[in-house]
Amino acid sequence: MALPLPPGLTPMEVAFFCEMEMITVVPRQRLESLELLGGPTPVLKPPQRANLPLWLALLLKRQRRANILPPPWLLPTSLERILRYETETSPNAFSPPPPHPYAVTARQAPTDTISPPFLPSSTDDAPPDCLPYHWLELGEILLEACSDDITDPGHVRTLLRDLREVRMAKMRASTKDFDAEGGGVNSLVGVGAMEVAEGRQFILGVMDGLRKLGASKEAARREQEAGGEGGDLSEDDEMEM
Amino acid sequence: MDISDILDSVTSTSNRADPFSSSPTSTPSGQALLQSLTRAYINERSSPSLLPWPANNLIPHISALIKSQIDAVELLTGDMDPRSNFALIIIQTELERWKFLLRGLLRARLSKIDRFAAFYLSEAESEEGRMSEDERAYALRHQALLKAHYDASFLGAFPANLRGLSDTAGGISMIEGPDAEKGVFARAIQDEVMFEAMGRESDGLVEMKRGEVVVARWKDVEEGVGNGELELV
Repeated sequence: MALPLPPGLTPMEVAFFCEMEMITVVPRQRLESLELLGGPTPVLKPPQRANLPLWLALLLKRQRRANILPPPWLLPTSLERILRYETETSPNAFSPPPPHPYAVTARQAPTDTISPPFLPSSTDDAPPDCLPYHWLELGEILLEACSDDITDPGHVRTLLRDLREVRMAKMRASTKDFDAEGGGVNSLVGVGAMEVAEGRQFILGVMDGLRKLGASKEAARREQEAGGEGGDLSEDDEMEM
Repeated sequence: MDISDILDSVTSTSNRADPFSSSPTSTPSGQALLQSLTRAYINERSSPSLLPWPANNLIPHISALIKSQIDAVELLTGDMDPRSNFALIIIQTELERWKFLLRGLLRARLSKIDRFAAFYLSEAESEEGRMSEDERAYALRHQALLKAHYDASFLGAFPANLRGLSDTAGGISMIEGPDAEKGVFARAIQDEVMFEAMGRESDGLVEMKRGEVVVARWKDVEEGVGNGELELV
């Protein structure tokens, strides 16, 4: 009964969450509103655009009941711009993620803490110059399911692959400065979901390995800082090895 | 509801509005529940230790919702006309996605309980509410079966003072727990989240902006995940 998967999301699960992203479709058939568990769907009236979760859009697309509008960042020109940013403007850090659509105000709102995949970062009015959290999976899924709706799918595919290569190299390089910022915390602003899933084993492996190698040194340092108070603690830490 | 609400509802339902938007004041909408369930699933799958049982009756609430949807589907299957057939496919697809999430969450918890049953049972007094009633019963039964099996297969042949499964002689506890220092990927879901981090070379205060993802030790971010400042990814 217990789940046999290793801890941490697998790429399959990441793709599943990606299918909750909102995407814009142009319906080709009328469809009345449906009472789903997640709330009612909009009435689909061709040719009015509507925002739907990706899984539903794919279902409609497969049955030729709707066309999918690719998000603005998936256009070849946008991807070229982002790629140029990733390689030339900031060769060490990821390009910035799209701004959060719900600004933090003094009044707390439930939208304040919404995070991907529930942010509308891939609808037709999404910012064109930022890769959203689920960019790689979304791009691949759309290329697979509706390459006829995408301008120049071959070029888009190449660009996505290039972006992936550039960013994976950055992801691996990030293990070099694990302790640069103090506290052993490594910030990855703008990282994508699939990149986390792919890099997880490697990065956490490096991190845990280094931690275990340096456990006694770390404990000694902490003991020194605390003025010899943490005697019991260091013993425990060494035992863990 | 005043006049501006009515005007809003007339102007904004022109199909472009977010179909799953919900008014924040009402009881949790389906969309809000889905977000909570998704977050609970991802957190549970990514954290090394068992997280507290989801608050606000999330699981019973969602189970009830799924059950009522199944009933609705059964009613719809009664009048099978071809047009409602496609609608039924959509409803069932969505239903399966919810069931997948719920099942995955519960099974991820079970796998942690299986692995460290003795540990979670031994800390029971201080960590009340980490396991649900059913999970506690499951863990107890699991541990009892394991003990009986060990006794029958080899422990019975040992001297009586070597038969314990929870000795702490020599400073080492026999009960193995999850690795609290294991690394995790965490994202800030509120602005300006601060936490104290223990590093190899130095300790320090870490500040995160909303949406930022960091790699950190589970022990350092556990509190933030618990009080809703951070989520795991």
